[in-house]
Amino acid sequence: MSTVAELRRYFTETRRWLLVPVVLLAILPLVSEQHLLSIATQAIILGLFAISVDIALGYVGLFTLAPAAFFGIGAYSVAKLVVDYGSSFWLGFPAAIVLAAVIALLIGYGPIKRRIGLVYFVLFTLAFGVLVHDFTYTTTWLTGGSNGLGYLTAPTVFGIDLSQTVPYYYFALLGVVVVAGLLYWILSSDYGDVLHATRQNEVRMRYLGYDTDREKLIAWVMSATVSSIAGAMYVATVGIASPSLMAFSLTGEVTIWVVIGGLGTFFGPFVAAFALTIFESYLGTVIPEGYLLILGALFIVFVFVLPDGLVGLLQRWRDGE
Amino acid sequence: MYELPLLTSSEFVTYLLNGISQGMIIFLVASGLTLIFGLIGLINFAHGALVALGGYGTLLIADATGSFWAGLAGAVVLVALLGLVLERSVLHRVYERPLLGFLGTFGMYVVIEELLSFRFGDQARQIAAPFPGSVSVMGASYPKHRLLIILVGAVVAIGIGALLSYTRLGMEIHATATEPETAEILGVDSAHVYTLTFVIGASLAALAGGLTGPVTSVSPGMGMSYMILAFLVIIVGGMGSFKGSLLVSLIVGQITAFGWLFLQPTYVRLGVFVAAMVFILYKPRGFFGKPEVFE
Repeated sequence: MSTVAELRRYFTETRRWLLVPVVLLAILPLVSEQHLLSIATQAIILGLFAISVDIALGYVGLFTLAPAAFFGIGAYSVAKLVVDYGSSFWLGFPAAIVLAAVIALLIGYGPIKRRIGLVYFVLFTLAFGVLVHDFTYTTTWLTGGSNGLGYLTAPTVFGIDLSQTVPYYYFALLGVVVVAGLLYWILSSDYGDVLHATRQNEVRMRYLGYDTDREKLIAWVMSATVSSIAGAMYVATVGIASPSLMAFSLTGEVTIWVVIGGLGTFFGPFVAAFALTIFESYLGTVIPEGYLLILGALFIVFVFVLPDGLVGLLQRWRDGE
Repeated sequence: MYELPLLTSSEFVTYLLNGISQGMIIFLVASGLTLIFGLIGLINFAHGALVALGGYGTLLIADATGSFWAGLAGAVVLVALLGLVLERSVLHRVYERPLLGFLGTFGMYVVIEELLSFRFGDQARQIAAPFPGSVSVMGASYPKHRLLIILVGAVVAIGIGALLSYTRLGMEIHATATEPETAEILGVDSAHVYTLTFVIGASLAALAGGLTGPVTSVSPGMGMSYMILAFLVIIVGGMGSFKGSLLVSLIVGQITAFGWLFLQPTYVRLGVFVAAMVFILYKPRGFFGKPEVFE
C-alpha cells in the first residue's frame, strides 16, 4: 500500500488530466447512438456509486457489505415520493440524503464506537444489507414488495425534458461531476490524509490527538449518503425501484469494481465501474450469462495477483518496474 | 385477543422434527464455517458455493449411477479434493491478510456459482430421496429422508466433536488455534493442520448440499441463503465454537419451524438478522466463544 505522500503526489500530478475524461464524456452524445448512451448514463451513475463505496472500503478500511442497501434507500426514496405521493422528483434527493445519513449514523455508530474487528464489521453489514433487502421484499404496503415501485420518469425542467435519453445523460453527468468533484475536494484536503493515515495506523493517529472514531463515522455517513444519491439518480434510468437494486449481487458487483479499480484511489473505482458496465452490455449481446463469470475470474486475478488494482498497475508501470 | 393456534400432537411432532432437520442442515454448513473461521480466521465466502457444488455433484453422480449414496459420497470426495486444491494453491497465502482472504473466497463464490448457472441453468432441480415415503413417528406421518438428515447431522456432530476432543488431530487444531507459535515449537505441522481443517470444512459443506437436495432441491444459488444464516449462527453461537454452532443451529431451526405459525417466514429471518447484529455489538463472542479457542 502506498504511503500518504505518494498518493498525494499522484493526485497532484494527475489533476490536470481530469478535464480530459470529463470532456470526452461530455461529447459522447454527439457520437453515440441512443442505446449506448442510456447504458453510459447508468455507467457514470454506477461509477459515482463505486467512488462512494471506495470511501468506506479504500479510504477508511471499513469493509462494508451494505452499499446496495444505501443505493436502494436512495432509489426507493425518490420512487416512493414520486409514485405513491405524487410529489416532485426533486424532493426525492434531499429525502434520500437525509434518510441515508440518518440510517447510516444509526447503523454505523455502534460498530465504529465499539471498534469491532474487520471480520465482525463485515458480518454486521452483511446482516444489515440482507435485512434491508428482505424488509423491502416483505413490506408490500410500504415498498411494493417484489413488484417494486414504478413507474417514474424524470420531469421537465426549464423546458428540457429530462425523461429523454440525451438530457438525462447530461443531467447525470452534471450531477456525478458535481458530487464527485466535491468528494474529491474533500478527500484531497487534509481530511483525506487523516483517513488514509487512520487506516494505516489508527493507534498512532489516536496518540497524535485525532478522534479517529469521529473521522471514520463522518466518512461512513458520507459514503452512505453518496451511495444513496447515486441510487436516487439511477432509479429514473430504469423507471422502477425494485428489490434487485438492494440485492446482495449489487453489493458484490460494486465491491469487485472497487477492488479492480484500486482501493482508495478514487478514480480507479469510477473507471472500473464505468468500463465494466459498458462491457456488460456488449457482452450481453454475445453471451448473456458470461458477464458475472468473467467478472468473478477477473476479480480473483486482481485479489491474488494485483491487489493494488488498475491504478496500482499504472503506478508500477510508470515507476518503470 | 390473540389466540395461539391449537396444535394437535401430530402437528407438533411434525413441526418439531422439521425444526430439527432444518437446524441440522444449517449446522452442517455452520460447523464447516466455524472450524475454518476459528482456526484460520478466514471468512470463507466460497463455502456457499461448495454447498451448491455438493448438491450438483450428488445430483449428477446419483443420476449416472442410480445410487444416492454413491452420489453423496462422490460429491463429498470431489468437493474435499477441490478444497484441498484451493487451500494449497492460493488460500494458504492470504491467511495473514483477512481482507484479501475474504475478497478472494468471495470471487471464488461468484465464479463457481456462475459456472453452475452457466452449465445447468438457474432452475432448481430435485434429487430423488434414497428412502422415499414416510414413516409414522408418534402419530405423525413423517418423510423418511428428513429423519435421515437428522440422523446424519447427529452422527456428524458426535463425530466432529469426538475428533476435536479425543484425537491427536483435534488436539493439534486446538493448539494451533490458541498458540500457533508454541504449537509449532512442540512439533505441530501447522500448515498441515490448516489444510486438513479446510478440507474437513469443505466436505461438511458438500455433505449439507447433497443431503438437502431431496428436500429443498438444488440450484446454483442454494448455498448463499444457507451461508448467510450460518454466518449469523456462528456469531451467536460464538465464533470458532463447535458446540455453540450446533446449539444455535437447532434453536434457529426450531424458531423457523414454529415461527411460521405466528409470522411470515421472512419476518422470522429478519428477527434472526437483528439478533445477530445485536450480538455482534454487545456480545461478539456469542454464547460459547472464547478468543480463538474451541470448545
